[in-house]
Amino acid sequence: MSAEGPVVRFEHVTVQFPGVLANDDVSLDIRRGEVFALVGENGAGKSTLMNVLYGLQKPTLGSLWIKGRKIGPRHDPLRAMAMGVGMVHQHFKLVPSFTVAQNIVLGMEPKRRGLFYDQKRADHDVRALGERFGLPVNTADTVGELSVGLQQRVEILKALHRGADVLILDEPTAVLTPHETDELFEVIRRIVAEKGMTVILITHKLGEVMALSDRVGVMRRGKLLGVLPTAETDERVLAAMMVGRDVIFDELREGAPGEQVVLAVRGLAAKDDRGLPAVRGVDLTVHAGEIVGVCGVEGNGQTELTECIMGMRPQTGGTVTLNGRDISRHTPRAIRAMGVSWIPEDRLSTGLSAKATVTENLLVGKQRQPAFSLLGIHYRRRNARRYAAKLAEEFDIRSGGLELPAASLSGGNMQKTILAREFSFDSPVLVISQPTRGVDIGAIEFIHEKILEKRNAGCAILLVSADLDELFRLSDRLVTLYEGQITGRFEAGSIDKQEIGYYMTGGRQKEARKA
Amino acid sequence: MSDVFNLLLLQNTLRTATPVVLCALGCLMTDQVGIMNIGVDGMMLMGAFFAVLGSYLFGSWLMGLAFAFALGVLLGLFYYVFSIKFKSDEFIIGVALNILAGGLTVFLLRTLFGVKGSFSGPGIVPLPTLDWPWLERIPVLGPVLNGNTLLVYVSWLMVAGSWVFLYKTPLGFHLRASGEAPEALRASGKSPERMKRLASVLCGVLATLSGAHLSLGYLTMFSENMSASRGFVAVACVIFGGSNPPRVFLAALLFGFIDALGLRLQKYIPSDLTSMAPYVVTVVMMVAVVLLRRRRQSTRSLAS
Amino acid sequence: MNTGFVQSVRALVTLKPKQKLTAQYLLSLLIAVSLAFLVGAGIMLLCGYDPVACYAALFKGALGKPRALGNTLAKTVTLCLTGLAMSVAAKAGIFNVGGEGQLYLGGLAAAVVGARMADSPAWLIVVCALLAAMAAGGAYAWLPGILKVKLRVNEVVTTILLNSAAIYFCSYLANGPLKTAERGIPSGTDSIAAAAWFPPLIRLSSLTTGVFYAAGITLFIWYLMTRSTAGFEMKITGTNPRFARYGGIRADRLALWGMVLSGMVCGVVGPLEVFGLHHRFLTTLSSEFYFDGMLVAMIMRYQPVGVILMSFFFAILNIGGSAMELSAGISSEVILIVQSVIIFFMAAEGGISEMARRSAAERRVRRAARRAEKEASA
Repeated sequence: MSAEGPVVRFEHVTVQFPGVLANDDVSLDIRRGEVFALVGENGAGKSTLMNVLYGLQKPTLGSLWIKGRKIGPRHDPLRAMAMGVGMVHQHFKLVPSFTVAQNIVLGMEPKRRGLFYDQKRADHDVRALGERFGLPVNTADTVGELSVGLQQRVEILKALHRGADVLILDEPTAVLTPHETDELFEVIRRIVAEKGMTVILITHKLGEVMALSDRVGVMRRGKLLGVLPTAETDERVLAAMMVGRDVIFDELREGAPGEQVVLAVRGLAAKDDRGLPAVRGVDLTVHAGEIVGVCGVEGNGQTELTECIMGMRPQTGGTVTLNGRDISRHTPRAIRAMGVSWIPEDRLSTGLSAKATVTENLLVGKQRQPAFSLLGIHYRRRNARRYAAKLAEEFDIRSGGLELPAASLSGGNMQKTILAREFSFDSPVLVISQPTRGVDIGAIEFIHEKILEKRNAGCAILLVSADLDELFRLSDRLVTLYEGQITGRFEAGSIDKQEIGYYMTGGRQKEARKA
Repeated sequence: MSDVFNLLLLQNTLRTATPVVLCALGCLMTDQVGIMNIGVDGMMLMGAFFAVLGSYLFGSWLMGLAFAFALGVLLGLFYYVFSIKFKSDEFIIGVALNILAGGLTVFLLRTLFGVKGSFSGPGIVPLPTLDWPWLERIPVLGPVLNGNTLLVYVSWLMVAGSWVFLYKTPLGFHLRASGEAPEALRASGKSPERMKRLASVLCGVLATLSGAHLSLGYLTMFSENMSASRGFVAVACVIFGGSNPPRVFLAALLFGFIDALGLRLQKYIPSDLTSMAPYVVTVVMMVAVVLLRRRRQSTRSLAS
Repeated sequence: MNTGFVQSVRALVTLKPKQKLTAQYLLSLLIAVSLAFLVGAGIMLLCGYDPVACYAALFKGALGKPRALGNTLAKTVTLCLTGLAMSVAAKAGIFNVGGEGQLYLGGLAAAVVGARMADSPAWLIVVCALLAAMAAGGAYAWLPGILKVKLRVNEVVTTILLNSAAIYFCSYLANGPLKTAERGIPSGTDSIAAAAWFPPLIRLSSLTTGVFYAAGITLFIWYLMTRSTAGFEMKITGTNPRFARYGGIRADRLALWGMVLSGMVCGVVGPLEVFGLHHRFLTTLSSEFYFDGMLVAMIMRYQPVGVILMSFFFAILNIGGSAMELSAGISSEVILIVQSVIIFFMAAEGGISEMARRSAAERRVRRAARRAEKEASA
């Protein structure tokens, strides 16, 4: 430990959320001038711990020290910033309609005559700051129109402008292209070496940990399992600590996929919510009894692709066929009737109604079946309840009661509710987006088994996920999606992670352009 | 028809538009922080009553304005506490506020003044009209622009002032950010709730002042339900003007023009029909703005 | 670090999600009503009246005599229908604030039919008049409905504006083309055929046989909202329209139908007044009946049974309020204030109880932490 002591110290920090212990007795020292990586799976408690440091979350128990001073109960982002702690959140906290300069100085704008915003000085200050740290920006650009990489740069500058010397980066590379990632790493190395900054990197990508950090802390289920110097460890050790079990590949799939093409997508094109092309000529086929995985960095058209197939988003070109029958340009209702079910990526906005009961959520889509509707008029509640109870048991949905609002369920049980409903349609085609995002590990296992059960029963499954391990585990074939186009196709046996990473970040395209 | 289309029409336009302008600016403030306050109609009505009350009790228009102002602050805080602090449905609170306004003003009218329907009298001192000779010298429009009551000029100042406030001052930035990206503001150490409170109070004050103009500006009386849904017209103007002060001002002027035109056409057309016109036109305006936005979008995506 | 300590804290602070909403909600309602009555009493005291006497006059005036009871029941019918009209649209996720205008148009349509069909049998007149009223109200609700569904034009604002438009339009017709030739009628249409009048059930009260039509409609709406497949789909649409669309429910169509149905119910309230009370269309047909009904619906969170019961309570306040004004001398508008106070409290109920729950939980956590610290040091 350096002479002046740790720059940040957590002592027995415990954070209790309803039903979940997000941080369980964590004690940790961060040293001045190091890059400290905090790794763990989704929901391991990394972000919560950093929110404690940044004052966004009050610890239930335990104490926090910054630069040798004990932090009181009234810690908040303003105080954290005053003590030199800055945070770049995974979801950027920027105002889209404001300019770069306005965003960076937000909350501490230079004033003219004590009242007006001094644009000249703000622009000048921001430009000077950018030059000092080697992070040039165009001060007059509107932030909403910038690329994700540049938005992140604005976030970093915002923290630096507030005098941060401890910088927390929460999953900084999740939305970046490889080139942008390289640039970011360059910046981090430089500010640590030249400006004496301390950087805390929250991530679950072990490659980055090895490439960048001095020390690494591993978290699982709210507990800090250990802190290791990066030089003395390797990815395998960290992965085993993170997951707590060895990942088993290829054991669960039975039998080869069928020959029959069930779902065929031809030249599909669609626009995103801003009216810009998001899917640009995608060709895909899924056979019966096959899982085709779609991998890609988020925001490369996956959402739009699945929404198009399901009829939730108008397509601007191409066709989707199911067993040779054109299902494109129909309503979701018609597409469902033709045999497509979808597990959407966003549970609360699309996948269920939080205010309706669990029973009602389980029944949607079947409410007009004779078993639940007498002559299409009378709702047969008793049958519906019995059916919901059966599904809940089959899919192990744990709730306080099926007649309570779905909002009372935990994330994993919400996902199981959606799964139970969609799987029980017995449709020939299943489109599954991010099936295990934000779901605890026990439920992940269960959901994977259910998906493979469906595959083994002959269902054609299109699986979209941001989790590469999940895709590797489940898929028969993989395609990579980059900027709305398919850049690579792989068979299950021949998958090489690095190669995939190369394709899903548009590597092949760049080569093609060079040639 | 020269008795309809003349300078007096423009003068009436300014007159009838002014309460809508003030109220719409208030509504715009809450709109910027992400609240649709449909309670402004009730705020306007209460403002109208209390302005009369203040003016009558103290024999001074200034006290009328002061009453309206103080009431506006209170109502704004009240609205803030219920819609933001208690997280109530802003729509329900708005409707309840309108109902409260209807009940309270009539109740007070009967209890304090002992009259039903309306109250007028020599004791109520109207707002002063301002006379600026230099305005008179502007060709054609001079006589129209000059000689209006105080709040007409205040409303013009407010249009410019609110634009400067929202787009040129840090406080205005914070206010807009609290609606567009409250988490960004919070991460910068500023409280979005405080900005929402500020917007709510501004809205209350502007709405009650618009009521004061209604009852002290050109009528010098209070009558039951005298806001006549103008608050809702103001909401529509905010939607129509895309929450931008100058555009909202133009929308309100358009409303005022239709209203004034209707009044002056009463010789030719039954008054019920002319009274109907502003509401119908406002609905048409709301549809038009959606259609226009759609067309703009489709042309933009063609260009890209 | 002793894990027993962490575990004990964990057991103590695990927060349970809110359950059993109804009992708690009814309790809150009771508290809100009591508070509102207290506020009302405070106003009465301020104005120099005796609250006990005023409230006694109120309840006596609403329930004390058969005639008063009849009026209260008639008011209940109006509130109930308008409240259910609001609820049925809100259930499908669309807000009809334009019931007042739909009511006027329904009343006018029924009055015209009732006057023009004077030679037909009474039952036919009534049926045609009710149908005409439903058509008028439904059509006038369809317009903002279709604008909302197709163009996403805010329906709250359009329906409010259309209220004023409809009322002026009816006033124009009743003062102009459709004005009756009879003397002594300031602004109204021709009288409807006397055979078709709804006779009063209680002498001199405004409770007429119209109550049976209203009961039929109430039953229908209740069934639709709580027991039917369409009601199920409406609930899903109202709580999350995107989810409904994804689940294969025609959300837009359902919302539009909810709106139209709401307009039809409002339209029927018009002829109940016309055939039962005025026997012609008058420009003073309604005094914001729909807004009263809307309040009832909002307070009871659009639950049909709750709306029916709450209508009776609000009718007592309403009818009793006028009686109170006559006997105790205080302006009946004080009741409007009491009503809006109930709404404010009920709208804030969720927020206030959540705040109370959270601060209680925080206190619990802090206490547990302190106790644990003491144990650890001991």
